[in-house]
Amino acid sequence: MTGTRPPRTRPVPDLGDDGPWRAIDVFRFVALAYAVWLFLQGRDGFRHPWLAAAALVAMLAWTVALALRHPRPRWVLSLDLVLAVVAVLVTRVVDDPDRIARGAATLPSMWAAGPVASWGVARGWAKGLLAAVVVSLADLAEIWPAPTQGTWDGVVQLLMVGVIIGYTADLYAAGRRRLARATAVEAAARERERLAADIHDSVLQVLAYVQHRGDELGGEAAEIGRLAGEQEARLRAMVQGGVPGGAGRSDLSALLAGLGASRVSVAVPAEPVELDTGTALTVLAAVRAALDNVVRHAGEQARAWVLLEDEEGMITITVRDDGVGLAPARLGEAAAEGRLGVAAGIRGRIAGVGGSVTVTGAPGEGVEVELRVPAGAGS
Amino acid sequence: MSGPPAGVGVRVMIVDDHPLWREAVARDLAEAGMEVVATAGDGAEALRRLPAVRPDVVVLDLQMPQLDGVEATRRIAAEHPATRVLVLTASVARADVLEAVKAGATGYLVKSASREELRDAVTRTACGEAVFTPGLAGLVLGEFRRMAGAPEPERGPAAPRLTERETEILRLVAKGLNSRQIADRLVISHRTVQNHTQNVLTKLQLHNRVELTRYAIQQGLDQGE
Repeated sequence: MTGTRPPRTRPVPDLGDDGPWRAIDVFRFVALAYAVWLFLQGRDGFRHPWLAAAALVAMLAWTVALALRHPRPRWVLSLDLVLAVVAVLVTRVVDDPDRIARGAATLPSMWAAGPVASWGVARGWAKGLLAAVVVSLADLAEIWPAPTQGTWDGVVQLLMVGVIIGYTADLYAAGRRRLARATAVEAAARERERLAADIHDSVLQVLAYVQHRGDELGGEAAEIGRLAGEQEARLRAMVQGGVPGGAGRSDLSALLAGLGASRVSVAVPAEPVELDTGTALTVLAAVRAALDNVVRHAGEQARAWVLLEDEEGMITITVRDDGVGLAPARLGEAAAEGRLGVAAGIRGRIAGVGGSVTVTGAPGEGVEVELRVPAGAGS
Repeated sequence: MSGPPAGVGVRVMIVDDHPLWREAVARDLAEAGMEVVATAGDGAEALRRLPAVRPDVVVLDLQMPQLDGVEATRRIAAEHPATRVLVLTASVARADVLEAVKAGATGYLVKSASREELRDAVTRTACGEAVFTPGLAGLVLGEFRRMAGAPEPERGPAAPRLTERETEILRLVAKGLNSRQIADRLVISHRTVQNHTQNVLTKLQLHNRVELTRYAIQQGLDQGE
């Protein structure tokens, strides 16, 4: 939304740094120097030159005070605006009415734009515009009843300063907020990576060691070792899995790697295999169903292997087990007995994303379920 | 499968930054009659000790301080071609494993592998066989397909390709079949299966070396200009 038009809400930009304030402070000094130069040029024409000089000194004092004090609460901003208005109106007292009528500059001249810029920076474009209107009214009052072309030019410039600086400050603040968010996200990702490295260095190593040593000692220790091994596989899968891809895309290899366990080996390419998230989750669910099928029908002791291949726009996932297997002639029979019920569920899911399923098996060689899904499916 | 005598006398060096692991692996291999000639805590130490002990096999972890496993593998392969590298890691980074194999490791095993698997893997590595786990086969298949799909380089050799037989064998390895089962299924000899897997690794490593050399020459020429 931002970027197309000024935000309507009351923004209180957290600028987060002093950059814009310093710029305005420098502008005030330059503008004041200009005002002094204008005064010196025309000082013979002034009605009360000493009074004008005193006003300029007061302006200098305020400018220095502002430059030294950076936090700008509302009362400082208000006082700043009031002083600018007073400085403009004082012109009517100290300068010659003829000179004013001829269009001479006000005593503070461009210096009066300082508070307008400040309000824009501190409170956004709407307050910047309001401050510009206030100073403009003072400008008009100073020369009333006959504003010159120069007066109107000044008014237009002030309004532009208030709106443009305010709007820019809004954008700047929004940009800083986005940057802060992005930095936070990046920090979180880095923290995850650090955790993964830590887990590898400590927990995974120790669990693998316990498994290894338990295996060596045998008996009850072997059982403890086996449990440690299972946890190692689960933790490894957790650290590997679930890395989000781009918008609406998911890395199927990371998702499948998350299925790894002590009895399930997962082979995937090193490069991410990105799919439409819906398709990827459907495939993941189908592979889970196939693995459940292995546990149910091939026996608790059966091992399973998952292979993910990505070739020329076709994704192939194979789930093989080393269980009792099936005689091809018995496939139909098995289906009738409901043993392929889960396989039917897999077929339905994969057909939904435009893919196909093949089930093969031989006695003693386990069952192999092959899922083929076009890489462009669902996108 | 292979009885204890198979690995007797194999000279092994163990490189791992975890002392407990070094001890456990050394004990296992010694029990199987192998000779653990040295251990080291990181790649740099391993390379310093290597010329003196001349092991047949270096069992190497990937994540180590001072010269990580990938770089250590590259240097061992270049400076000690008679020594073979078996990667034994708990690493969760697939890319690291692939890099180590491209750099010259001839085998890869996860630390959760059983003691029998470890002894068998070291024995086979010592005999010059490639030790492919299903996970590694999946990585290598993916890498060849990535290279086949990548745009042809302007100069230099085209990416190597797998023959149909090699692809077939790699897929079977990735699906958990051992070389005996693969030989039975394809009606070829056990030895032929091993030759094929060996060839696959050689192609990958050779291509990697050529690519590195080409890159080095390009960098060198650029600096000369």
